[in-house]
Amino acid sequence: MKNQNVNTNQEYKYGFTTDIENIRAPKGLNENSIKFISKIKKEPKWMLDWRLKAFNRLKNLKEPNWQKPKYPKINYQDLYYYSAPKSASEKPKSLDEVDPKLIETYKKLGIPLQEQKRLSGVAVDAVFDSVSVATTYKEELTKKGIIFCSISEAIREHPDLVKKYLGSVIPITDHYFATLNSAVFTDGSFVYIPPKVKCPMELSTYFRINASETGQFERTLIIADKGSYVSYLEGCTAPMRDENQLHAANVELVALDDAEIKYSTVQNWYPGDKNGVGGIYNFVTKRGACRGKNSKISWTQVETGSAITWKYPSCILQGDNSVGEFYSIAITNNHQKADTGTKMIHLGKNTKSKIISKGISAGKADNTYRGLVDIGKKALNSRNYTQCDSLLMGNKCGAHTVPYIKNKNSSSIVEHEATTSKINEEQLFYCNQRGLNQEEAVGLIVNGFCKEVLQQLPMEFAVEAQKLVGISLEGSVG
Amino acid sequence: MIENFKINSKEIDKIKKISKTERDFRINNLNLFNEKGFPNKKQEDWKFSDLREIVQKNFKKLDVNKVNSKVKKINLIKDFHHNYIVIVNGELKSSNFSFEDKNRVRIKNFKNDNFLQKNKENSLVCLNHALSDKGYDVEIEANYKFKKALIIYNLFTKDLKENILNSRNKIKIGENSELHTIDLVINDSKYKFMNNVYENIILENNAVYKNICIQNDKNEGYFHKFSKSKLSSRSKYSAFIFPSGPKFNKLDLEFNLEGEDSECILQSASFLNKNDHQEIKTKMNHIAPSCKSYQKVKNVLGSDGKGVYQGKIYVKDIAQKTNAYQLSKALLLSDSSEFNSKPELEIYADDVKCSHGATSGNVDEDSIYYLMSRGLSRKESIKLLIDGFLNEVVDMIKSNSIKKFVKSKLESQIHGY
Repeated sequence: MKNQNVNTNQEYKYGFTTDIENIRAPKGLNENSIKFISKIKKEPKWMLDWRLKAFNRLKNLKEPNWQKPKYPKINYQDLYYYSAPKSASEKPKSLDEVDPKLIETYKKLGIPLQEQKRLSGVAVDAVFDSVSVATTYKEELTKKGIIFCSISEAIREHPDLVKKYLGSVIPITDHYFATLNSAVFTDGSFVYIPPKVKCPMELSTYFRINASETGQFERTLIIADKGSYVSYLEGCTAPMRDENQLHAANVELVALDDAEIKYSTVQNWYPGDKNGVGGIYNFVTKRGACRGKNSKISWTQVETGSAITWKYPSCILQGDNSVGEFYSIAITNNHQKADTGTKMIHLGKNTKSKIISKGISAGKADNTYRGLVDIGKKALNSRNYTQCDSLLMGNKCGAHTVPYIKNKNSSSIVEHEATTSKINEEQLFYCNQRGLNQEEAVGLIVNGFCKEVLQQLPMEFAVEAQKLVGISLEGSVG
Repeated sequence: MIENFKINSKEIDKIKKISKTERDFRINNLNLFNEKGFPNKKQEDWKFSDLREIVQKNFKKLDVNKVNSKVKKINLIKDFHHNYIVIVNGELKSSNFSFEDKNRVRIKNFKNDNFLQKNKENSLVCLNHALSDKGYDVEIEANYKFKKALIIYNLFTKDLKENILNSRNKIKIGENSELHTIDLVINDSKYKFMNNVYENIILENNAVYKNICIQNDKNEGYFHKFSKSKLSSRSKYSAFIFPSGPKFNKLDLEFNLEGEDSECILQSASFLNKNDHQEIKTKMNHIAPSCKSYQKVKNVLGSDGKGVYQGKIYVKDIAQKTNAYQLSKALLLSDSSEFNSKPELEIYADDVKCSHGATSGNVDEDSIYYLMSRGLSRKESIKLLIDGFLNEVVDMIKSNSIKKFVKSKLESQIHGY
């Protein structure tokens, strides 16, 4: 399969020069663009109908405006909803053409040259080092019966699974951006773990080589069948260069009886320059359903990029004894704005949820934790613990906490605590005294502040994320 | 739907002696109210208390006309010496400042002279601004400390039935002065009615104001109060609220800490039962540096009781060295009770200490077991624990006689459980 993908890429490489019209959807948000996407993805009719249903509903929807970060109006008719991967001629020829700031960051993160090229979008030969790695992984996964492919492929090859679960957690009747995604999503990942299988490795979009061009409307669907386990990594610690300003991804997780899904994200899209010009709008809908008994979904996120981040990875705890967890670090610097948090909806008995959120705000940034804990009437003996801490650096930034807590039965316990403060002068002094400069000291203290969340990340990710925390705050002290 | 509750502008013509500006102001507010109707859950501030639904369910009509406000005799509190003013159905009837220097205290009927439209969001405030023609205005001169507490008797007569009362009150405390008040609700009406109050409190530099608000005699009233306070430099405001009497009660309190080193403390304890709906909404605006605020809200919810706490701490960028704290605790005694909270922080200054906590749950089983093993019945144990839970707030009242009085009020509620 992988080889096929590589070939497709190569085809486009040549296809560009001859017939440019064919690989770009007509401009604007209309039925034709959706039909075009569906056609180019060779989708069956039911999928197209599904998309059109979402699109019809979208016509009557308004963009939400209750959130704290405001953004300039997006002209949806001015966007292309599908364009094939760029040809080599359009991409930067070498690293010399890429923003030197970006290269500097890569160096600090210790990313190999080949990788640097791939991340910054420099045209590279289709022979990646990772291809061979990916193929070996693929074989091992197939042996266990695990399906891990692009969602377009899954629609064609595993229609029963997709039909059953797609839109079952985020229905097409959801809010504006989720519905928009349902209508026009271009690609994304699909994972199915069969019963009683423990996925032997951490799955990552990184190993799906065509993932770099999934576009702005990504759709991910992960299903963990009875008694299975999977850990999924999304994103990358290295900053990604991207042409699209609006990103509206949907991620759906389904955990059946005794299954566990661990979903980790490191988001480091382009945050705009120092004056807040440019940058990505990251409006993501992530939701997981603990359908089965004793199931567990755990979200971990490190959000350092994007001009505006707006997402609330949520857990619907339907099954009895199910567990939802949310660990988050959100770092905003310069003019970045983040409004993030979670929803824990307790429906089943003995359900438990835990929320740990760390917000760090520097420069002129605004950082908001917004969360909901809703314990239903029938969710007896449920338990929630929430802790959100904010750290402020400088008096031009803001840190906000907006929790909604609802408790509808007497046998459940809900606890919430939040603090806001700045870095302790004494701690800084202590570090300085031992020879660390101001920046290193801040990095160290902030890492300590985030420790509880960083610990939740898979090993390889955690090490890089730690470095990233320091880098994101550069220039915010002194 | 809300058509039944629209109010004709003729009602404003009934208010005598008003200037054109005032009339325009009132008409303007009335139009705002008629346009919006009673607030519903689509408005963020009313998310957990859908007043429109509550009003529609419980009222067929609302009468804005004047009601008979004659009261023969008032049973004054004999537990301790005090000054008093008597308010009947929102209207100032009499006052007695026998313990004080009368030249230093001024009291009169409230007369509005500020016609700037500020609050457009809350339609109940608009309604109040449109129709209120009653209320009191108390002013304490500079450098005067009250010797005895001032009790404000809020009487509601038995003539009230499907009425809506709108009144506006103002308290101004001059520099270096001090006032202690007790707001007491006494309700003789057996019927449903609404009471909509707009309150203004101004503390000049160094002023001290202590207020205890007691509304916990059970009644059929639907109360809404919007209170706006201004705290100047080094002033201190301490408020105790025991609000669990009315069927519906929403206290919307806004504190503006405008002067450096000002301090605000708010504490509340309530016991809600049978279909009671109560919301405490606070907004603590830290606008000046080095201010302190402290909030503690405790709720016990019996069957079908619904409690809401929406608290917000706002810290402006210049308000460095702010120390703000907020705590909400709730005990749910029944599966039909519900507690919703939204403790919110909005902070733009970095050298601050702000924290909040919110918990809700049942009475601790271990504690019940402990008490039962010492010979108490289960019910007695629970009562004792509730008592301890709420008394933590009452115990903060300094004056012993007042503390005793409040305790007796609260205990009678708990023992009814």
